[in-house]
Amino acid sequence: MQNKFEDLKTQAFLAIKVIKDSDELVALENKLLGRKNGELTNLMKSLKDLSADVKKTVGQLANEIKTEIEIGLDNKRRELRQAEWGTLIEKERLDITQPALPKKERGHFHPNTIIQKDLENLFISMGFMVLDGPELESDYYNFTALNIPETHPARDSQDTFYIKGHSNWLMRTHTSPMQVRAMQKYGVPLRTIVPGKCYRNEATDVRHEHTFYQMEGLVVDKGISFAHMKGVLEAVARHLYGQDTKVRLRPKFYPFVEPGVNGEVTCYLCKGSGCRLCKNTGWLEIFGAGLVHPSVLKEGNVDSKEYQGFAFGFGLTRLVMLKYGIDDIRLLESGNMKFLEQF
Amino acid sequence: MFISFNWLKQHINLPDSTTADEVANKLKLSTVEVESVRFQGADLEGVVVGEILEFKKHRNADKLHVAHVDVGEGKPRQVIFGQMVKMEPGFKVPVALAPTALPGGKKIDRIEIRGELTEGMLCLDQELGLLKEGVSIRFFEKTMKNGMPITKALGLDDYILEIDNKSLSNRPDLWGHYGIAREVAALFNREVKTYETKEINKSIKQEIKLKVEIEDAKLCPRYMAVAMSGIKVGESPAWLKERLTAVGLRPINNIVDITNYVMLDVGQPMHAFDARKLTINKEQLTNVSIVVRRAKEGEEFTTLDHKKYRLDSSMVVIATDEKAVALAGVMGGLESGIADDTTTIIFESANFDAATTRKTSTKLGLRTDSSARFEKSLDPNMCEVALKRAVELILEICPEAKVASKVIDEGKPRLFTGPLEIPVEFFAKKLGIEIPVKTIVTILQRLGFIVTEKKKTLSVKIPSWRATKDVSIPEDLVEEVARIYGYDNIPATLPTFPITPPGENKLRTLEHRVAEIMVRELGFTEVYNYSFVSASQIAKLGDDISRYLELDNPISKEKPYVRRNLLPNLLENISSNMSRAESLKLFEIGKVFHGDEAGPRVDTNGDELLPRQDVYLTALYVHKKDTTPFWEVRRIAEMLALELGMHFEYAPASARPLHSWQHPARTTWLKMAGGIVGRVYELHPSTTESYGIAQRVGLCSINLSELVEMNKANSFKNIATALSSFPEAVRDIAFLVKKEIAHADILQVLGSIDPLLTKIELFDVFEGVGIGEGYKSLAYHLTYVSSERTLTNSEVDTAHSKVEKILQEKFKAEIRK
Repeated sequence: MQNKFEDLKTQAFLAIKVIKDSDELVALENKLLGRKNGELTNLMKSLKDLSADVKKTVGQLANEIKTEIEIGLDNKRRELRQAEWGTLIEKERLDITQPALPKKERGHFHPNTIIQKDLENLFISMGFMVLDGPELESDYYNFTALNIPETHPARDSQDTFYIKGHSNWLMRTHTSPMQVRAMQKYGVPLRTIVPGKCYRNEATDVRHEHTFYQMEGLVVDKGISFAHMKGVLEAVARHLYGQDTKVRLRPKFYPFVEPGVNGEVTCYLCKGSGCRLCKNTGWLEIFGAGLVHPSVLKEGNVDSKEYQGFAFGFGLTRLVMLKYGIDDIRLLESGNMKFLEQF
Repeated sequence: MFISFNWLKQHINLPDSTTADEVANKLKLSTVEVESVRFQGADLEGVVVGEILEFKKHRNADKLHVAHVDVGEGKPRQVIFGQMVKMEPGFKVPVALAPTALPGGKKIDRIEIRGELTEGMLCLDQELGLLKEGVSIRFFEKTMKNGMPITKALGLDDYILEIDNKSLSNRPDLWGHYGIAREVAALFNREVKTYETKEINKSIKQEIKLKVEIEDAKLCPRYMAVAMSGIKVGESPAWLKERLTAVGLRPINNIVDITNYVMLDVGQPMHAFDARKLTINKEQLTNVSIVVRRAKEGEEFTTLDHKKYRLDSSMVVIATDEKAVALAGVMGGLESGIADDTTTIIFESANFDAATTRKTSTKLGLRTDSSARFEKSLDPNMCEVALKRAVELILEICPEAKVASKVIDEGKPRLFTGPLEIPVEFFAKKLGIEIPVKTIVTILQRLGFIVTEKKKTLSVKIPSWRATKDVSIPEDLVEEVARIYGYDNIPATLPTFPITPPGENKLRTLEHRVAEIMVRELGFTEVYNYSFVSASQIAKLGDDISRYLELDNPISKEKPYVRRNLLPNLLENISSNMSRAESLKLFEIGKVFHGDEAGPRVDTNGDELLPRQDVYLTALYVHKKDTTPFWEVRRIAEMLALELGMHFEYAPASARPLHSWQHPARTTWLKMAGGIVGRVYELHPSTTESYGIAQRVGLCSINLSELVEMNKANSFKNIATALSSFPEAVRDIAFLVKKEIAHADILQVLGSIDPLLTKIELFDVFEGVGIGEGYKSLAYHLTYVSSERTLTNSEVDTAHSKVEKILQEKFKAEIRK
């Protein structure tokens, strides 16, 4: 009887070894362990005819063999499953270079919005108020209040759009009119920026637009100095072009500041060594600035003996063009979807 | 403006080691924009002196000639030329030897022109970069060796600095070499040489009685003049011609060259008249009387360059009794100019009003070296310096010349020259750095200010050349000190402020939020358009053009109107993009201008108000296959309401008068507690037709300026409600009703019939096949739930049948089973 069990075990393991798929495995399992006609089941059933003594020893052996066969079958099953996963996974292989389809419809911000918002956030984090103002301005706020006299060339109709029938109305030529409006409305101390649309009566070409965007800034408080102006502008430059960016100030005349400067930053492309972008100077001119002229403070009802301040203006449009490598300014207001969909 | 480095060094002792580049760099950082520094001989290596041996007409080209030119190579070169300037055999001219390149990059190669070989080019001054304008050529002396490089032949060893005139606009003192030299002296901490001029000899026999009258001292603060006789007009000496050509001016004759030289030296424009033309008796030059007066309306005047102008009374002329002889500060007249046979001249050295000069030159479109200087407000003291220098030069160049009249000096110019009293600490306060007083004083003195220091205060007298407009307040002196001290030497420090959060600009926050939703949630693309529109755009909308503000001086005659609405240019965006797109989803956020409504103040005190300028969102949607774009744009309003936590009521078209471009049956007004803030609509089919758009256009337009006001009260809302812990029963219902029945009416009725019915959601609307004409099928998800218990089936059934019943009763609905 023992031999029968041993033989069955040997045959069973031989059979397990040659099994090729799960169907055969199920069939073998039935053949050996099936509850009704399984070979091992039948053999174990026959134990009941044996004497108690033999039954005990053979029974024990039978149970051990059964467990061994079960483990053998389980191992085989796992082995087969493993192979099946392999086949399945190979079948499911994807071309991961292909994009997700169908394409998801996506909107686009105008590039100016992106840069403007970024700078607004920077200045808000430094405690600046964000203001806007009328684009259709008065001669007073656009010029007179800013110490730009009647005879200044900027007032020529070559540079300024005037409104028919209202000789003192015009399309603002810069965001600076908000300097005096802001001082009048909010008083001092004052920290504000004014990003916005400006207009100049200028023929358009690749580099000139009659409509463009600027960002004005104004800080007025006790003890504000040129050094502070330099500090703030340096912070902006570093935000825009990285920590190693340097700022260079050079004299430039604007009637509403004294002293007035134009501001350049190290060319971000060549890091100052000179390239096509910076016309080999190593510097990019991106803003104008200066200490607020006492007569402008006066128009804003601010006592220039007690308070001083600085103002600056960034060419937002220029920053956008530099940032994205846009070489034709007219694209920005073209409504050309091919252009806009890049952003 | 061009500055010759050699000329500059005439006025200041710079160390030999100081280069033109160093000077340019310092000027750039502290004074003006230097656009370039160019070595005169740069790019002229391939140009030599060549002698024309013989030439003949080109066989195949009437206007060309073929010459044999000795360029010192043994064998003559064949060169084709065009006779821009008359040539004769024996002439020696600059010849570019092919292959080479000229300034500006022009390549000269050995090529055939219509079958004839050319091995070089005869070069004009303009081609060599020696002069900017005109057509002229250098002829060399016979003694000059053929083949000699022209850099050597012409002594081109100077460096030329090109200064951007715009950067000089507030510095009248820098329009000549001496002014720049003074600046350079301050920058290199050296002293500028005193500008010495000899007094004009007064002990003369008055050959000519010269009289000058100024009509209006405001227009001409000073007028100096003197007559000189015994003049022999001729070529200027080499040194003078060299100076002029170095800075791009063409030598004309000794008299004109002297006036030009003085202008370029000290910045004071001068003029020389032929005295014969200023007197009635041309035989006897005894009395010359001129007046500085306003031009007459329509007065005709021909300038030196043969151009005729019609003047008006805003302009100023120099005139005899008979007629105008010069346009004050701009240009002399043709007739009274220096001629070859002129023997007696009147030198003018005057000061004209800046604004008047600028206006005149702008009006006539006539800008000259003279007008460019006068319009900057010149120092009237320079009249005298310039006149003395000019007389001195004439006497040197024409030894027979002599002073022939008294020196006229009319007018009484007034200047504010201070002194300005400045506490020393003012500099530190403004700049944020302590600069030693000694340094401050030195800088100011080098620039010509007269400084006295007493008790921590500086008393500063302004030199006349800085006093015309440039320097008048202490802040101006801070700039002088700071820029010469060097902006680079002022440290950058951040100001300290209390940490008060900045006031929020609610409108700007809303603009950004809306843009974000449009782009991120709804897939729209943001455009920026011009604020100007055309008459035809307005006409196509059917809008009233008289309500539009108009530019007085539009850049494009086509689009002179200021937009009242973002729509017209957005519609243009469709036309320009639709050919390559299946669908377009665009929006713009921007200001519109309503001249008929009141906006911000015009000035501080007056009552006048500017036009209202609200910020609008306008979004536009077209799709080639969508004949009802209304729904896609209504979604915008729905999404904005959800995202911004507001509630719109969708009021029918009849709620407000429609614009002609709105589809009356496809319009809804967006209403809030405070009123109507926007609209969702389709463009009227007649408007799409007039714009030539084949598709229907859906639009959503919201006044964000108003929305931000109305939504202020609404910004905090308890939108969270307690959730029921008992299960919900969802039943669907579909029914047919007449088309006129509105979803909103059904909602309203069902909303109040049973407290168990807590949510009513429309999920399908269908018209067409299988549905009777004039009917539509609606399908709703209805949610029943109680907050107290689990509902039984029969409770739900009861409530649901109530719904069916009321739909049948109120709306004659046919329930679909």
